[in-house]
Amino acid sequence: MLTFFVVVPVLIAVLLFALATNRVVRMIAIVFQSALFAASVYLVSITRDADFYTFVGSYENLLGITLRASSLSAVLVLLTTFIFLAVTVYSFVYEEQDARMFWFLMFVLEAAFIGLFLSGDLFNIFVLIEVSTLVTVILAMYDRKNRNIFHGKVFLMTNLVSVQFFLLGLGYVYRLTGAMDITRVTESLAVLDPANLRLPYVLIMTGVAFKNTLIPLFSWTPKVRIYPQAPTVVAAVMSGLQAKTSIYLFITFQDVFEPIAAHEIFLAIGIVTGVFGAYMAICQTNIKNLLAYSTVSQTGMIIVGFSLQTQYAHIGGLYHIISHAMFKTALFLCAGIIIRSYGTADLHKIRGVLRRMPVVGTATITAVLGIVGAPFFIGSVSKYFIFEGNHPGMMALSILMSLGTMVMFVKFSKIFFGQSDLQGISPVPEVTKVLPVVIIGGLCFLGGVLGTQLIYFLFRYVVVIHAWTYMYKSLIFIAVVGVGCLIYEKGIKGRIIFERMGAATTSFKMICASMGVFLAVMLVLVF
Amino acid sequence: MAALLHYENMEIFALALFFISFFGLITSRNMIKSIIYIMLFQTSVVMFWLMLGRVGEALPMPPIINDPELLYDMSAIADPLPQALTLTAIIIGFAVIAIIITMMNVLTRKHGTADWNKLMVLEGQVE
Repeated sequence: MLTFFVVVPVLIAVLLFALATNRVVRMIAIVFQSALFAASVYLVSITRDADFYTFVGSYENLLGITLRASSLSAVLVLLTTFIFLAVTVYSFVYEEQDARMFWFLMFVLEAAFIGLFLSGDLFNIFVLIEVSTLVTVILAMYDRKNRNIFHGKVFLMTNLVSVQFFLLGLGYVYRLTGAMDITRVTESLAVLDPANLRLPYVLIMTGVAFKNTLIPLFSWTPKVRIYPQAPTVVAAVMSGLQAKTSIYLFITFQDVFEPIAAHEIFLAIGIVTGVFGAYMAICQTNIKNLLAYSTVSQTGMIIVGFSLQTQYAHIGGLYHIISHAMFKTALFLCAGIIIRSYGTADLHKIRGVLRRMPVVGTATITAVLGIVGAPFFIGSVSKYFIFEGNHPGMMALSILMSLGTMVMFVKFSKIFFGQSDLQGISPVPEVTKVLPVVIIGGLCFLGGVLGTQLIYFLFRYVVVIHAWTYMYKSLIFIAVVGVGCLIYEKGIKGRIIFERMGAATTSFKMICASMGVFLAVMLVLVF
Repeated sequence: MAALLHYENMEIFALALFFISFFGLITSRNMIKSIIYIMLFQTSVVMFWLMLGRVGEALPMPPIINDPELLYDMSAIADPLPQALTLTAIIIGFAVIAIIITMMNVLTRKHGTADWNKLMVLEGQVE
């Protein structure tokens, strides 16, 4: 049954490649995509108690390739189909040229993501990482008028180098275990001498950390640089879903290498990434760059959730994957509408969004409240669980990260008010663009109010939010709002030095060198 | 020399090639050289994978054996799985390298240089 989840998007892709210029065909594609979404809801409901397997080619043992739907991967498939449904509706009135190829590649990308989440075979994971990277680069440079090949090339080359580390690590795993199936490999590695696991662990983690844009690696520079040129839906998918595939890899390989998993190292790296990403986001002037750096920062926070080694932090990390996908997709889609309406992506020039587009403006505000963790919004629930029950030092760090996010969105929020006469290509957004934005914005609110119920439905964890602690954290949030506004108004606004730093970039050689240094340092630390 | 090239040393050769080409990636100024080093980098990983297929003492070969006496002799055959997987890795690498070379073609035609440092300046990345 799981084969259909990978095959159906490819079939939609072929259908759209043949006839994407036809509106009726696009309607059919939306219907198919909705059916896939419904099927993945069913998948989530059946995988909650036990993993679901499909054996491709009917070899029910070590030799076969398996598709495995665990509770986490089923939820991620649900997320993938939902976000692709949203972007399909969003792009119903298509703006870029050559729609056929664009839609073909988009749905191939969806198939690659779903395959990556469902694959129970390590080598297939490598293949699908490569496919998704390649398709992402082509899609990101799809807009011929303002594409920048230099950044796309650096992105592709560095990713190719990083994935070779990953592949070499897989080679060592194969030599140690003689298997590529995740379940078998985990079983075998658990009984082996941990001393033998260090080299493959470090090699694989170098690749995975690079994909995750963690901080000692300079992978965020090419990644962020290709955002402004990417079409809106591609930017939304890159930030909302591709970042999640890397986090899924991180979780998977930390589980596979459980005997020697270096949780403390990744905890430190996650904290640094969270703070530094927020700092870089504050320095941006392009609306898409700001959101992209915010993704770097949020990835750090999710890594922290999975490295803290407590039950609550784990649940918080899982829920933060969902909430980040929701509000970041909403923010990117809103940003696309705003850029089309104003004809510029400069945060200093866009003013008065609320007056010009009240509905889109409200949806954007909902998403912003979600990301900064306002009470009763989706981000507050996941952040509550990540930092619940840890010692006060973690609490202080969480406030520092929230403060960074707050300052960048104080800067972002300036676009809602004021007055501007700039006119872009379409001042009034189409209904098909507004509808998905409003629905995802609404989910940012519902996911906060019904947080515990949603966590129970998705992950089968029974969790309780203590009213007093939540109140206490809400008070901290209000304090953070005040301090954030103060820092922005007094310290950052109008200082040109920050924008200079925000434009800093690194060369291909530096990025490769950072990979080597990361590998060496990890080896020393693990030994 | 012949002893050095013995299959037992191949794994070490693969790892040596891995780090030599990685050193090349860090140091080369020219984009074409970077691409050549990336290809070497991939080749070294592929070489490592091929050496994994060795089961017995013999050189890694596909398990196609005509002599029925040798059929159950594990030292004469190789594990076919790494060979199949390597083939996939080579094909993917080929596709990605093809796209990278196409991009390089566009860039060098636009700017007239394949030097990383000059390209950074021309693309407005550094002042």
